[in-house]
Amino acid sequence: MEQLLVHCAQAIDNTDATPAQQILWVLNNIAPPDGDSNQRLTRAFLRALILRAARTPASCGMNLNIHKFSLLDLANFVHLTPWHRFGFTAANSVILEAIEGRTVVHIVDLSVTHCMQIPTLIDSIATRYQGRQPPTVTLTVGAFTQQGPPMFDFVCYDDLGVKLINFARSKGVVLEFKAVPTTPSDGFASVLDEVRTRQEQMRFLYGNPHHHHQEELEEEALIINCQMSLHYLNHVEPEEDPSVVMSMRSMFFKALRSLAPTMVVVVEEDVDFTSRNLVGRLRSAFNYFWIPFDTVDTFLPWGSKQREWYEADICWKIENVISHEGDQRVERQEPRTRWSQRMMEAEFRAVGFMGEAMTEVKAMLEEHATGWGSKKEEEDIVLTWKGHNVVFATALVPS
Amino acid sequence: MPADLDDSSAQTMSNNTGASGEASVSSSGDQIEPLKPPTRKKRNQPGMPDPDAEVIALSPKTLMATNRFVCEICNKGFQRDQNLQLHRRGHNLPWKLRQRSSKEVKKRVYVCPEISCVHHDPSRALGDLTGIKKHFCRKHGEKKWKCEKCSKKYAVQSDWKAHIKICGTREYKCDCGTLFSRRDSFITHRAFCDALAEESARNHPNGKNNANNNSTKMEIESKASTSTPISVTPATTMVSSVLPIQSSAPAASLQSHANPAFSDFIQTMTQPECPPPELPQSAPAEPISLCLATNHGSSIFGPAGQERRQYAPPPQPAMSATALLQKAAQMGANGGSLLRGLGLVSSTSSAGPSDSLQWTSRQVEPETSPVQSGLGLGLPCDEGSGLKELMIGSSSMFGPKQPTLDFLGLGMAAGGSPNGGLSALITSMGNGLDVAAAAASFGGPEFAGKDIGRSS
Repeated sequence: MEQLLVHCAQAIDNTDATPAQQILWVLNNIAPPDGDSNQRLTRAFLRALILRAARTPASCGMNLNIHKFSLLDLANFVHLTPWHRFGFTAANSVILEAIEGRTVVHIVDLSVTHCMQIPTLIDSIATRYQGRQPPTVTLTVGAFTQQGPPMFDFVCYDDLGVKLINFARSKGVVLEFKAVPTTPSDGFASVLDEVRTRQEQMRFLYGNPHHHHQEELEEEALIINCQMSLHYLNHVEPEEDPSVVMSMRSMFFKALRSLAPTMVVVVEEDVDFTSRNLVGRLRSAFNYFWIPFDTVDTFLPWGSKQREWYEADICWKIENVISHEGDQRVERQEPRTRWSQRMMEAEFRAVGFMGEAMTEVKAMLEEHATGWGSKKEEEDIVLTWKGHNVVFATALVPS
Repeated sequence: MPADLDDSSAQTMSNNTGASGEASVSSSGDQIEPLKPPTRKKRNQPGMPDPDAEVIALSPKTLMATNRFVCEICNKGFQRDQNLQLHRRGHNLPWKLRQRSSKEVKKRVYVCPEISCVHHDPSRALGDLTGIKKHFCRKHGEKKWKCEKCSKKYAVQSDWKAHIKICGTREYKCDCGTLFSRRDSFITHRAFCDALAEESARNHPNGKNNANNNSTKMEIESKASTSTPISVTPATTMVSSVLPIQSSAPAASLQSHANPAFSDFIQTMTQPECPPPELPQSAPAEPISLCLATNHGSSIFGPAGQERRQYAPPPQPAMSATALLQKAAQMGANGGSLLRGLGLVSSTSSAGPSDSLQWTSRQVEPETSPVQSGLGLGLPCDEGSGLKELMIGSSSMFGPKQPTLDFLGLGMAAGGSPNGGLSALITSMGNGLDVAAAAASFGGPEFAGKDIGRSS
């Protein structure tokens, strides 16, 4: 099937209408919408190729039933599979380690799941600090103005913030919440500005000689938590496009570095969709997206609404990788090694995940189907399905 | 257990205990199967594998036949012949226990019939029949035992029974009535569930008083909150768990969130001109510089930083329908040939072939000629806008090759049989959702017209 899709993609790109048409026809017959996971995967690619052939650039996901989640629906949905939970669990664990002994913590959340990680983070803080005074947590959330799946029905961050604060209070944690509208297209500049401004103001206030609170002089621990959000940053390098001085990704890391964070956590899908060549992208997408299709049987029954939503979200991604070019193609995942390189160039150093983090992840995976696993790669931790890399998590400190 | 006795009846007493221990390990420890064979071998014959063990490969059917040895009197089945023989004794039937001599200590190992399985390899064989049977069920069998409470499914009845006993004991229940088996899901749900909000409203009726206890610290925080967020990003809100929420979240910003995209847009546009509403008296110099820094902060990203397109409402969906319609009309007026070059075959999952003709002629409004040549890609979609986009898109794509295109009979199929051919492709692509994109025929001049004619 992969070969057929490749041929079809080549034909479409060469505007060889006849072979394209033939192969589309064949694919359509061998990949029924109610087929097995591989057939449904193929069908998703078929759709994407047809869309590409039709060149409807303004219509990403327009013919997909992309579900817009309510808050509670999304909370339930992200926990169905380790896809996001893995990153949450690994991140929570290292963040707890990093803030140990600090009394004021500023967590910046750049995540696609709209704060779905935060309750578990607050809960782990509360659990860890039982009998001790937990740190005061300021949470700055990047509220994406453009988003990919999972999509929110209506992101009312005020409401979300009130709920989180309430929840934190019920756990005995003092939480401040702030949502900053942001976008990857300028490298989350508004969030970085926000952090920088806050740092400068804190320094001013605490550095004020008339201020009597000497014990407050401790600087906030700054944690940057990036869950599946950085691949939306543009990856184009100067050698590909001379008008670019430095890729947005590298710039982002440099900007982060200048904020001297206590820790940066990056969780991304471990796959390469950055190729400019359609066939290259198609191959890596086909050899990656079988995983979500393969796993769905283990947690969602046939015909369930959630399963439709879940598969439509994968289709959205496939469509984005295959049908679109330029700025519209936002699913530009990079493999772990390339991210590591960028981070190293920005003078970050990966810190190993503690045994505790590994244990937490393992315990989390126990709650899911047997095909899931985790392993260490260098300092990072990788989620696997049947031995194939799915998502990686890395924790960085300034070197 | 006689079952263990007969399997190793000729072994010594100590070996017997070893064997029964092994049986119980392998039947309960299903999750650690890959580790099992070495452990077992070690226990029976330390330090070396068992080269004499008889490797038994049963077909799935034989393996799954639960009780192969059936008593002809009462139809009771047994897994082992020896057990049946012992049973026959109860019926006063002739019975015979095989007496194995000590020289024939034949150990048996069982492989999994599934070829792709690690236990298919004799070197990874399992030591007892029950073990391999349960393994086969669990790993390759249908999970027909379902827990009614949590929907978890099991292939082996005993696993299911064991689960039933503990299911619900590690369950989490929200006040709203929803049950969770995973703590993380429960925690997350709990945080966002209204039940918590109601509860905390009861428990903390005077959160204001609590805040006052901490007044010195609050002073700083409120200073920070007035100077920081409002001046920097007007669309943001600052709320604190210690402060009463309503008072710290300005009404204006709440309102602005009702339509985030639009208000963000406006605010972004106005941001550079609008100075922070009020600066803290104690810090006149610093906030100003901060404010400047904010306005230019994005410059670290160079030109890209200036493009704050994201704040604008996404223009495409609204534009595409009207703009493309205009474009299409323009094309139709300027040179009908372009549109004529598109054989539009469209269909929705509900629309029959005759509808498709009407649809086509409606969409190609500016074009009066019913004869459509060249190729067409039908893209029925929401509100028909996709079709227009397609009309443009496909012409640019396959346009140059139009004259030489082969028809391939695909269009014929579409017109000829409702179940095959193009319309089926289009319909099936729709997949019951909104109708998806579909490839349509690369029709020659006369064919496209004919097709539509035939199908109507």
